[in-house]
Amino acid sequence: MSNKNRYIKWFEELDKDSIPKVGGKAANLGEMINAGFPIPPGFAITIDAFEEFLESARRFGKKAKIVEIISKIDPKNTQELEDTSAFVREIIEATPVPEEIVEEIRRAYQELCRKIGIEDVAVAVRSSATAEDVPDASFAGQQDTYLWISRFEGVMKHVVKCWSSLYSPRAIAYRATKGFSHWDVSIGVAVQKMVNSRSSGVMFTLNPTHGDESQIVIEASWGLGEAIVSGSVTPDRFVVDKVTMEIVERTVSTKLYWTVYDPDKGSVIHGEVPEELREEPSLTDQEIIRLAEIGKKIEKHYGTPQDIEWAIDDDLPFPENVFITQSRPETVWSKKKKEPVIGKKSGYDLIMNRALTRYKVPKS
Amino acid sequence: MTDKGFPKPLEVEVPEELRGWEEMYPPHYIFSKEREEWESRQFWYLDKIHAPDPMYPWDLIFHEAWQIALAQYNTRVFCIPPAQGVAQRLVGCYFYICAVEPPSEGTIAKKAELFQKRAFHAFEHYDDLYEKWEKKFRDLGESVREIGIPDLPTFEPDERVIPVPRGYYSSYDLMEAYDRVINAIYKAWQYHFEYLNLSYLAYLTFADTVRKLFPGISESTIGKMVAGAYVVMFRPEEELARLARLAISLGPKVVEILKSNMKPEEKLEELSKFHEGREWIHSFEEVRDPWFYVSCGSGWFHYEGSWINTLEVPFEYLRSYIDRIERGEKVERDLEAIDEQRAKLVEEYRNLIKSDEDRQAFDEAYGICRKIYTYAENHLFWVEHWFHTIIFEKMREFGRLFVRYGMLDKVDDIFLFNRFEIPMIIEDLVTAWALGENVPTRAAYWKQKAEKRKKLLEAAKNWTPPPALGTVPEEIAEPFTVMLWGITSEKVAEWIKGVTARPEDVSEIKGFAASAGVIEGKARVIRFLDEITAVQEGEILVCPTTNPSWAPVFTKIKAAVTDIGGLTSHAAIVCREYGLPAVTGTGISTQVIKTGDIIRVDGDKGIVTIVERSNQE
Repeated sequence: MSNKNRYIKWFEELDKDSIPKVGGKAANLGEMINAGFPIPPGFAITIDAFEEFLESARRFGKKAKIVEIISKIDPKNTQELEDTSAFVREIIEATPVPEEIVEEIRRAYQELCRKIGIEDVAVAVRSSATAEDVPDASFAGQQDTYLWISRFEGVMKHVVKCWSSLYSPRAIAYRATKGFSHWDVSIGVAVQKMVNSRSSGVMFTLNPTHGDESQIVIEASWGLGEAIVSGSVTPDRFVVDKVTMEIVERTVSTKLYWTVYDPDKGSVIHGEVPEELREEPSLTDQEIIRLAEIGKKIEKHYGTPQDIEWAIDDDLPFPENVFITQSRPETVWSKKKKEPVIGKKSGYDLIMNRALTRYKVPKS
Repeated sequence: MTDKGFPKPLEVEVPEELRGWEEMYPPHYIFSKEREEWESRQFWYLDKIHAPDPMYPWDLIFHEAWQIALAQYNTRVFCIPPAQGVAQRLVGCYFYICAVEPPSEGTIAKKAELFQKRAFHAFEHYDDLYEKWEKKFRDLGESVREIGIPDLPTFEPDERVIPVPRGYYSSYDLMEAYDRVINAIYKAWQYHFEYLNLSYLAYLTFADTVRKLFPGISESTIGKMVAGAYVVMFRPEEELARLARLAISLGPKVVEILKSNMKPEEKLEELSKFHEGREWIHSFEEVRDPWFYVSCGSGWFHYEGSWINTLEVPFEYLRSYIDRIERGEKVERDLEAIDEQRAKLVEEYRNLIKSDEDRQAFDEAYGICRKIYTYAENHLFWVEHWFHTIIFEKMREFGRLFVRYGMLDKVDDIFLFNRFEIPMIIEDLVTAWALGENVPTRAAYWKQKAEKRKKLLEAAKNWTPPPALGTVPEEIAEPFTVMLWGITSEKVAEWIKGVTARPEDVSEIKGFAASAGVIEGKARVIRFLDEITAVQEGEILVCPTTNPSWAPVFTKIKAAVTDIGGLTSHAAIVCREYGLPAVTGTGISTQVIKTGDIIRVDGDKGIVTIVERSNQE
């Protein structure tokens, strides 16, 4: 980790003030790692790198060409938008990356492999937009994320793809309609170890069923997170009392399918969970409690309930195997107006209410 | 519902060998034709919490007393608006209770006014009121102790005749002594409920409030927030721990004697022979009263025994405490740590409350609950343990008198007669005494009755009564019913299941989620305290109920299941402290589970599952 680097920054070197330097996503990863949250290791490619790259495109006369094409575009014409985007991205992706940038990224990737102890370690390459021109969260999702990329050449190729994602049809249209410049925008990239997920899932730092903020709910399944997100599996469900840190509820479901990474194919495969694992809980008690502790910490750090993605890495022993891959504010309950539940009532009012209560015995 | 499962009260048939059971009990305890319409309309359930076994006629007195007292506070004193009393009946020697349906709306409105005035005043001044309560209650207990049970002298002594005749003599003294004991019992039970209904109400209010704020909160967490560390009920254990430490500090000779296999009386004899030993005895005598006046069971039944008359029990614990102290273990409950933990728990939940108004409501509900709930925890020692022990001891004095005069064969046979019958035996005896020499009594009649009743009670043990009778109610307002018996739709469903299922067909039992955690292991079913030495390290204890006498077993077991008791029962509190999973108040565990079965105790959900039945029957 050297300060001499201009084009890459290790996550440890970043925090929330780094958005102008590396974009929102990478800055957030830096913020998380520095707050002590266990996220998979990695580094960011700075906005300087992208700008330097774009500058070099000028030398090849490409930048002028891009300017010309994009400034003429009619954002309402979908077909034209698609074609233009494809054409511009092609130009960008065919532009050679300046040697100093390539070298810095190469060194960083090799350093990452060395630190983890796996040659050609598989990484995720994600674009990291600067926040100023991306007001809504959903927009960020439009930018590119490439999973299970291994070997330096692959990494480099997808870094450029992330750069060119600034000119996706949606990004162009958005800027055009909002009247933003196509040139004041910039983009960073995050390169992060892929978790070799034995189990994965989501965690809410409140109970999404009724919004109870004294509870943490963890949904877990075998393999990669896709199975839960796509709804092909009913996950195991664990509820942890945030105060006592006791597991107060556990529902282990039958998990028929999973998604796992196949190193031979170099891609993920969907398949059936082996019989002996189907009825087994996909998390140990130890892991549940560890996750809940992390969730509590993240929530405290951001000051609002969180919706967290996590994974258990099969390559590592407990507790280093517990990783957080994403955290964002919980939106459903947190957006609700915080009306008092009970309201202005004295203890005697409450006693009187209770004294008048008759317990209904439901008809069976 | 009746069609589906619960029989009407008069439809229940008892086995042949139980015929005639009714004559043991007062007539108003028996379901009857003339009350049939009202009785069939109510919902009667088997009260395994307070009476798991067939009822001894005399032991019914405490129930007779609580039926009157509990109800009277709900209906006539503090006037909890929609609540009436809890009525009792016996069927085949088993004890059924019923929360009486609510009164008319007009009465409810009238009661609400009175409740507001009276109950709020009691909440307001509780601290002061409790002090007065404890004083008068202990005075009452002392007054029972002072009741002399006269022997019947051949001639009254001179001083009762000269210079001025006393005017009444031993026959009257004996009759009066018994009446005084009975009156004290009724009074004690009126005192018993003085603040109990209110303290349960405060607990339920707080639980409601917390559940509104934290819909997912577990029962056991609410229990932990409320449970006090400085509870009188734990004093006997604490005193034993202190005596164990004292023994060690007094030197190896004292320790050696206490750890020996001698009988308690022999140990005391040996100790009295040297200085340090006498010092220990001195401390022992100091704490014996009141702290050894603790029942080895629930306190409700004469056969359970108390520490003072089963000294082997505390002495056995003493031995295990000394062992543990010598191994460097801590045997005392860390009161400050428990208190701190509770405060921290409450504080952290409180911090999660979003609005100031809600936080205020939480504080108020909690404040009232904490203040008065100590009553629920403390009265138990003074009434069910200390006072009942005094009463049973007193009754045995009458029993010894009866044996001495040949009225009964055994001292404890006195408990085979209900409280109305004892005066007849006394009268029979004093009549014969008064009539003069060689006048026969009807001792043979009483003895024969006793023998017959022993057989009836034995027959009842082998009979499984229906879990409920009558009509399932639409609503229940009576706080005890909700709090102690935990009547919920699930519970009722469980009972319906119980009507049709045989014990061996049941594989899942529900109770209170009393202490969190899930664990699987081998069950050890213990029905009575004297079987407790059978418990092996790492087993799961399955028992009717626990109390401080059971304390040392909790360091051996890895979970506990009880038939009887709620979230604040002894087993629940101790398990939470030791971090052991516990499910309490399951009603039927000791019948359904057999020693050796592999069971899973889910203290998070309050479910016990029989994973694997053992082969040994």
